[in-house]
Amino acid sequence: MAQARMGLLIDTSRCIGCRSCQVACKEWNHLEADKTAGAGTYENPRDLTPNLYNRVRFIENADVAGNVKWRFVNERCLHCGDAGCMKVCPSPGALFRTKEGFVGFDKAKCIACKYCVSACPFGVPRYGVEDKVAKCHLCLDRVGIGMGPACATACPTQALQFGDRSGLVAKAKASGKSLYGEADLAGLGVLYALEERPEAYGLPSSPSIPTSIFLWKDVIKPLGILGFWGSVAAVLVHYINFGARTPEDDNAEKGGSARE
Amino acid sequence: MSKYVERFNTKERVLHWFVAASFFTLLLSGLGLFARLFHGYFDFFGGGVGAILVHKYAGIVFFASSLLLFFNHFREMNVFDEDDRIWFRQLGGYLSRDVNHINSGKFNAGQKAFGLFMGMATILMGVTGIVNWFPLSFPRVIVRLSLLLHGLLFVLFIMFVVVHAYLTTIGNPGTLESMIYGNVKRIWARKHHPKWYGEIAGREKAAE
Repeated sequence: MAQARMGLLIDTSRCIGCRSCQVACKEWNHLEADKTAGAGTYENPRDLTPNLYNRVRFIENADVAGNVKWRFVNERCLHCGDAGCMKVCPSPGALFRTKEGFVGFDKAKCIACKYCVSACPFGVPRYGVEDKVAKCHLCLDRVGIGMGPACATACPTQALQFGDRSGLVAKAKASGKSLYGEADLAGLGVLYALEERPEAYGLPSSPSIPTSIFLWKDVIKPLGILGFWGSVAAVLVHYINFGARTPEDDNAEKGGSARE
Repeated sequence: MSKYVERFNTKERVLHWFVAASFFTLLLSGLGLFARLFHGYFDFFGGGVGAILVHKYAGIVFFASSLLLFFNHFREMNVFDEDDRIWFRQLGGYLSRDVNHINSGKFNAGQKAFGLFMGMATILMGVTGIVNWFPLSFPRVIVRLSLLLHGLLFVLFIMFVVVHAYLTTIGNPGTLESMIYGNVKRIWARKHHPKWYGEIAGREKAAE
């Protein structure tokens, strides 16, 4: 990377659940509205969709006394330094690393294999009716020309802060909050400053590329290349060493031929 | 007396070549999906989208023809006798220049094992293939395992196919004819599959 890695810090203590980030994202990226249904919660929509690159999760918990506690947490692609989606994507350029260190995508190059859906440690990529990958790309078109992403620009409380990643890490650490994603998966491009344990926000405590994905790409793949060429070498060596088994008639055999 | 005996009938030969043709179609269209390293193979199909499409339909052809072939030969493959144990002990005599005297039936123990593997692997490839085809309809942990298993079976397939192609062509001259014309020379049958040839000869004698 020519330039220093950029980052987005999500400070959950500052989030008021206004969803300006959702709206700004939709507006900038020209994403259609999703039809939703009321479900007894202010959380809306209930999940990321191909038209919703980020959203605020509303986590409601009541203690024994009946006091309800609300947690708001912005959910999106976390732009892993070692990204499972990029590891498995078979189409060069469909998922790519931006110069700021984020994971961008190019729908024209996406071949709809959906491997990224399976490989993502956070379950982020979505496919819609057009059958192409969709997820947060951290407004690569804005960030690329020095602007902040739409979500952070619209955030009224600085719950979303965009900037130099190492600066954001230092700032979060200085504030004494628990920092999520500093080193996991070679460092997440989107970091969380959490007030509680990650599980309370629905985040895995130690995210990693799934073992089966590791085995597939780092064991089976080299094994396959080795296995193919090994087999070719084995039959060639066999042919040279033992030769063809050509059935000969009994007279020839009696005559001393060792070949059969 | 004809110089030849029939080894594979027309139905078996046609099925085999359906399996082979769809296998190589699957190989070419699937290589780019196996690893990004092989993305150049997508060009044969006008890109990755085309390769995936071809891979899915070739998969159906392979699944159907391979299973039909498997069931066709199942009864001949699913029995291992003492001679087959000898075959395994001596690895079919393949690691020796000496003449071997293993009394194999229509299929030797290695061929039976290969046939049984192909049947099992075809079923597993079909099942994992369906999961990989509709990855959004299954839990992600299932899809991950399915992708892993599909890749692992591919590796075994490609290794076995190299050996299969070798043994049935330059490794054992006279074998390929059985899959093209259906017939093999009597001497070939007598040397490679003595027990089977004995049965044929016995039937011929009885018919006389």
